[in-house]
This record gives sequence, C-alpha cells and structure tokens, in this order.
Amino acid sequence: MQTADLAIHWNPQETQPAMTQPAEDLELIHRMQAGDDDAVRDLYAQFGQRLYAYALRLTNDPASAEDVTQNTLVTAWRTANKFRGEGRLIAWLLGIVHHTAMKAIRNTPQFLSEAEETIPEILPTPEEQAQVKEEKRWVRDGLQSLSAEHRAVLELIFYQGLSLNEAADVLKIPVGTVKSRLSYARQHLRGVLSRTEENWR
Amino acid sequence: MNHEEQIILYAANQLDEQTRADFEKHLADCADCQADLIFWKSVADEIHASDSLVPAPAQLADSALEVIHQPNKLARALRSTGQLLRMQILIIHNELWIGSAALMFIFLAMALLVERVEVLYFFAPMIAAGTVTLIYGSENDPAAELTFATPISPWKVLLARLTLVSAYNVFLAGCATLVLLLIIPPQALGEFILGWLAPMTFLSALALMLSLWIGTGNALFIAYLLWSAQYASLISFGEWFAFASPWLETYRQFWQNPAMLFVFGFALIVFALWSSGRDQVQWRRSITM
Repeated sequence: MQTADLAIHWNPQETQPAMTQPAEDLELIHRMQAGDDDAVRDLYAQFGQRLYAYALRLTNDPASAEDVTQNTLVTAWRTANKFRGEGRLIAWLLGIVHHTAMKAIRNTPQFLSEAEETIPEILPTPEEQAQVKEEKRWVRDGLQSLSAEHRAVLELIFYQGLSLNEAADVLKIPVGTVKSRLSYARQHLRGVLSRTEENWR
Repeated sequence: MNHEEQIILYAANQLDEQTRADFEKHLADCADCQADLIFWKSVADEIHASDSLVPAPAQLADSALEVIHQPNKLARALRSTGQLLRMQILIIHNELWIGSAALMFIFLAMALLVERVEVLYFFAPMIAAGTVTLIYGSENDPAAELTFATPISPWKVLLARLTLVSAYNVFLAGCATLVLLLIIPPQALGEFILGWLAPMTFLSALALMLSLWIGTGNALFIAYLLWSAQYASLISFGEWFAFASPWLETYRQFWQNPAMLFVFGFALIVFALWSSGRDQVQWRRSITM
C-alpha cells in the first residue's frame, strides 16, 4: 500500500468521534451545577455512547457497563464543580468511567476472567473472502487477547481520540507508561500476526 | 516525538496539519514506517468499527437522574418503615383494638368505683399481654402465608406489629392514668406510670415469646398464671402454705423491680424476634402440617 493510498482513503471524519468545543463543555457543566436535569440528558446524548463503549471494554459485561455509565453520570452531577475546564470534558468523564469501572471490577474479583471466557468465538471467515477479513480477524483476536490495561490505552487513543497526555490522566499513570503500553501492545499484536501468517501459509 | 509515536498519532488522526504534512513526506520514503502505519491503521479501524457498533442503552440518563434525586437513606428508611406499619395495621384484627379499649374502659370504671389504683396495676399488663399473643402466627393472621411470601423478613413484620400494639396499649393505659388523676395525687404520677409500664413490658414480652413457641392459648394461660401468682398471698390459703411464703416474697419483689422487668422484657423481645424466622415456632409448624 502506498502512502498516497493511505492519505486518500483516510477520512478523518469517519474515524474520529466528533470533538466538542470547550465552551459547550463548560456550558453543560454550568447547567449541571445549576441543577438542570436536561443537562444530564444532553450530556448523555452527546457522550453516552462513548462512555458506555469504554465501560463495556473495561467490564466486558453489558449489565455492569450500564451500572458504571449510570454511576458516572451521577458522579459527574455531584462533582460538576470540580471540573474547571482545564481539559476536555470527555477526558474528565472517561476518567470517572475508568475509576468507577475499576472499583466495580475490584468488588467482583472473579468478574473479568469469567467474562472473558464468555466472549463468543468468532466464526472463521470463508476463505474466498480472504485477506482483508483475515487481517481483521487477527487484529480482533489480538485485541481480545490483550490485557484490560493495554486494551484501555488503545481504546482511549483510537476510539475516544484522547491525546497521550489525556490518556495518562484518565488512567492515572505517567505518559511514559502510556507509551510503553503502546509498544507492548504493538509487539503483542505483531506476535499474533506473525503466528497467524505462519498458520495461514 | 519519535516516529513510532507519530505513526500512532497519525493513525489516530491526532497530528496537527503541519506535523501531519511533514510526516507524510517522511512516510513516502520509509518502508518501515509504512508497514507500521498499516498495522496501526488496522488496529484503529478494528477498534473503531467494534466500538461504534456498541449501542448506548436508551434510559441511562433518566435512571441516573432517578438516583440523583433519590431521597437520602434516612428518609428512605423512614418511608419504608411507615409503609410497613400501615400495612400491618390492616392485617391486625380490628377486634383487638376495640376489645382492649373496651376492657380498659371497664377496668378503669371499676378502679374509679372502688377508688383503688391497684385495679389498673393488675389489669393493664394483662390486657397488653393478651393483645400481643394475638398479633402473629397462622392462627391469628389471616394473611400468614402471604406474610411469609413477602420479601420483608419475619422479625421485621413481628417488630412492626409489636410496636403498633404496644404503642396502643401504652396509649390506653396512659389515658386511663390521666383519668385516675381524679383519685391519685399528681406527684405520684411518675411512680404510678412505672407501676404498670414495667410489668406490662415484661408480661407482654413473655406472652409474645410464648405465643410464638407454644401458641396463643397456652401462652395466655401461662402468662396470666405467672402474673396472678404474685397476688397469691392476697388470698389466705391457710397455714400449710406458709413454707412457700419466702419464695413468694422474692417472686413478688421481681414484679416490683422496674429495672429488672425492663431488662428481662427486652431480652425476651429480642429472643422472640430472633425466633420469628425459625422453623420450630408454632406458626410455621401449623402451616407445614
């Protein structure tokens, strides 16, 4: 694949969740501080899918992801005065999701491992649909075999559109650790890839 | 920023215009970076594709608002207690309220007639004990099976009914006491109230506990027997009962010791509440039979 192809087929709007303006962020927060119920609904309409998706990745269980997302909204409401607009609202919210989810996982120690076992097997793709799907499959398999903390870094950067610094804030780890987790994820996924290619040949 | 970082941020579309343009220039000549970019792009695509498919549950904002506007724990507890009490008022026999009031009225009239407060001392605990034996169990509770089917634990149901009936009993005896101010001096009021309240507490607790274990009838019989026994010396039994009089004296002193009566009374209530959920007690046995 040539660089030119990448640039052409790479439509930022498709892959990037809509970014919000800081002014809108602050307005939502001010409305929550003022006790406006609709601010919670607007917040959820705007960020709900992303918050829930992240919660689901962390907990691997739709019911707990719902609890985590709901608790995140409640916490956001109760601590709205702590958000001063230094960073983006989504990063602040994801930080609450992360903290809440980790607490939930700690309270049910068996949870993660059990849930991981219940992930349905991905059906093998028909051979004629070949390489594109095969490539997707190893990425998917590889992502699922990553630990939750490495997966979380990838989620924050590639789906949530956070910068390395924002991801570090959400995860409460140094930026250096975010980078080393990315390197590890790359190594790990590459390992899965090379094994898959060997089998394929 | 090294190349690996740049590739990741490029794949995540986080580079600003200038850096992006510079990086694309470099990318054109660097096979390693191209390979890396293809790798990170497929990771980004896969994560994005799978996460975009996750549907956000519809009602989460509203359920969060429900939690946000929930009253605090104390208010909730008070409200559910209120509900429980109201529910139990409906289940307790109506006759119980009317009957004990009527009895209290009769004995009050009697006390006024003979101008003896002892009449109230004697009968108020008996009325109270009688009522508490009627509040629980399949023989008294038309909705007993329903009671067990509710998620409220038996001891809470029992405590709710005991609270209601006891409060009513104390209220009745209190009213009677006020009327008796006609014949007793006001300064003796405290002592007078303690005079019936303490035995009432113990005798009710005893009768309740017995009614759970051996049934209402037996419980009433034993409780009334024990209660009346302290007055045995009031009646002359004759010379040959003399040997028992020291024991009788000790026994009578027990009934006149408010502190002891309260302590033992509350202990019995705790025991009765504990046993309300146990299989051995009367009401459960009669249901399974």
